[in-house]
Amino acid sequence: MRHLFLKFAFLLGLGAFAAGCSSLGVKPWQRDVLAQEAMQPNGNPLDRAIDDHLYFSKEASSGGRSFAGGGCGCN
Amino acid sequence: MSATAPEKIVMEPRGVNLTALRFIAMASPCELLVETSDHGAALALGRLVATEAWRIEHKYSRYRNDSLLSWIHHNRDRRLELDQETVSLLDFAKACHEVSGGLFDITSGILRRVWTFDGSDRLPAAAAVKELLPFIGFYKLKWKAPRLLLPFGMELDFGGIGKEYAVDRAFDLLSAQCSKPFLINLGGDLRTNRAPPQAPWRVGIERPDNVGEASLILDLERGALATSGDSRRYLIKDGVRYGHILNPKTGWPVPGAPRSVTVAASSCTEAGQLATLALLHGAGARQFLEAQQVRYWLLE
Amino acid sequence: MAAPSPAAVADAIENSPMSKMLPLRRRLMAASCALLGTAVLHAEDSQDQKTNQSILGQLLEGVSVDSALAYYHEDGRVQAVEPVVDVNKEFSNGQSVNLNATFDVLSGASPNGALTSRQPQTFASPSGTSLTGAKHTYSVGAGEYPVDRNYSDVRGAVGADWQVPLARLTRMDLGAKISGEDDFISATLNASIAHDFNEKNTTLSFGVSNEFDRLSPVGGTPVAGSDYSLFEKTGNKTKDGVEALLGVTQVMTRNWIAELNFSADRFKGYLNDPYKIASVLDAAGNTTGYVYESRPDQRSRKSIFLENRAAWNQFSAAVSLRYMQDNWQIRSDTVELRPRWTLSDRNQYIEPTVRWYKQTAADFYTPWLSNSSQVPEIQSSDERLGAFHAVTFGIKYAHKVGEQQDTRGSELSVRVEYYQQTFRQPEAPASLQGLDLLPPLKAILVQVGWRF
Repeated sequence: MRHLFLKFAFLLGLGAFAAGCSSLGVKPWQRDVLAQEAMQPNGNPLDRAIDDHLYFSKEASSGGRSFAGGGCGCN
Repeated sequence: MSATAPEKIVMEPRGVNLTALRFIAMASPCELLVETSDHGAALALGRLVATEAWRIEHKYSRYRNDSLLSWIHHNRDRRLELDQETVSLLDFAKACHEVSGGLFDITSGILRRVWTFDGSDRLPAAAAVKELLPFIGFYKLKWKAPRLLLPFGMELDFGGIGKEYAVDRAFDLLSAQCSKPFLINLGGDLRTNRAPPQAPWRVGIERPDNVGEASLILDLERGALATSGDSRRYLIKDGVRYGHILNPKTGWPVPGAPRSVTVAASSCTEAGQLATLALLHGAGARQFLEAQQVRYWLLE
Repeated sequence: MAAPSPAAVADAIENSPMSKMLPLRRRLMAASCALLGTAVLHAEDSQDQKTNQSILGQLLEGVSVDSALAYYHEDGRVQAVEPVVDVNKEFSNGQSVNLNATFDVLSGASPNGALTSRQPQTFASPSGTSLTGAKHTYSVGAGEYPVDRNYSDVRGAVGADWQVPLARLTRMDLGAKISGEDDFISATLNASIAHDFNEKNTTLSFGVSNEFDRLSPVGGTPVAGSDYSLFEKTGNKTKDGVEALLGVTQVMTRNWIAELNFSADRFKGYLNDPYKIASVLDAAGNTTGYVYESRPDQRSRKSIFLENRAAWNQFSAAVSLRYMQDNWQIRSDTVELRPRWTLSDRNQYIEPTVRWYKQTAADFYTPWLSNSSQVPEIQSSDERLGAFHAVTFGIKYAHKVGEQQDTRGSELSVRVEYYQQTFRQPEAPASLQGLDLLPPLKAILVQVGWRF
């Protein structure tokens, strides 16, 4: 059930990409909001690194946003 | 975006006691003429002028990521504390905005997105121009020296005052170091401390249509000259000429503006503003300049 | 047009007394004087500063530092102190270099994989060679969750990253990382390339990563699946892995950007945890012995990650979903929500986090083994391969100080997170009924950060 929901969410995301990759978007001068830190792919890298290290050592999954490799012996 | 020109200074002797130092700054050919045969000293003075021009160009450049202007544009909707020089420039821009009844506006730069003055007949759609108007207006800035808040969607453009300001700044720096006669020329905006004893500086103002062939020769004794004109930047459609001076309130070029205005004043900044204001008066340019009792040259 | 006589131009400038000028001209002249008068001093100062820039000054230009100190504490188990520092330098040619270093000091009690028993249990510490004698053994009471209380480890890692533009819309990223601890060394290399389309509204990126690890467990590597009491140890082991990552980032609107990543990795070699054992129980549920775990020597994973980030005025939010599956039959779902409220003076923000995670067990995971059948070739009781769900609740507060046009200013932040794992309890044999066989993991993370 849960997996169905997530699969649907992914299809939605994929659909948005497929449908609109060339018609979606903004003009160069409309990128002011996108420049904010909260909109960056990795605006707070240390927070993410510390969280990722925690989850890598306690869970069976890692990565997604970036490379999954742990590089440490904690798993 | 323009490619960055190399920052080098070329020295050229011009006659027995005259040295020219040439360089590129603010996308224009620039030159310092000094009455001296001491090439070493002349080069040092040339470097002084060029460095100041490049400093101002880099600081207020739209294209450089490390310019002050880019920093302001990356921090919209935030109260920013500006340095003394920028504070002075903004205060000056505000005074010009008020004195011109809102015609001179450093927030009108965003109109360049829809206006390309390449000599063709491609005018922008009225809707495209109208879309930008809400983001133009100096009074929309939250400006209380030294703090500026630039609202989202707005831009600052120091292009209209930068060059003349650089001439005056370089002039002050040079005057403190050089008592010989010199002339600073940054892309047609010039200023001299005094003319060489044998003859005044002979200056040619480029005629708009025949680029390269000076049609107006002036003898400059002292003071500054600034020229505003459309020599290469205009559009022509159905026989009507659209100059590149845009009215910030309508987003359209001011009709009937002369092709070129040259004004003489004691400072290049003042001369440049008067020339720009004249063009903003369109068909009433000549009347405006007459009323200011200023020495001017109009080319229709 | 005749050129005016030389005198004329000079006269025009000198003989216009202020009183004769119109208000406009007067005002303009005054404004120009104000501009040129006051600007003089300060422009000269800044010019001097630029030309007198020392080597150190040039080196520090475009450098930003991000540092954090995190303290992690599990209820009754492991605790760790982790300082991290990250230095980034941007060059004027568009390249940037990043150097980072991490240090981990861990101590406390780590689960050894054995099951809680009604009888007290004695285990050998990793360096131990027998189960008797007080030295190098540890005991766990009746009904207690088996943990090794002498767990301690120190880890240091350094990494470097170089980003270089290849063309106007294309850039390449090369990275390397080395991590070392008492019993484990890891080296990773990665490379990726990214290209922008559609006026930079779409970005496509592709990257590969290669990791090589070497394990030298304390006391030697146990023979996988062997009887614990025999202490059969061998030498060092290695494992290596390759990963590929394909990503698309799309600007949706002025306020919304979406990111979709597909990744796949494959590890092979020694994939066991050398310190984990599994309890062997009889039919009644009494522990009769232990065996070392034995995992497959290969693991392939695939995952999809989708994140949407949006911002309006002083509010922004990031929502991410991740789905992972591997050939050990583990499936996981992760949902993370991170809203941010920027306070009215725009120099402070509050950012709570909520994360929900669920995973299914590996097909060879078993909380214990039965002595009535042969020990399976592949088995593990490591709870991290079991079925559980986890939640995280966190909040972060950050404050920016001293930002002006010449100085970036610095940001201080504090972050607190609570993490809890809840395991699916197995069907316990009769004698173990009422015992908390897989107790939940409860942990708290406190972090302070400083960027400048």
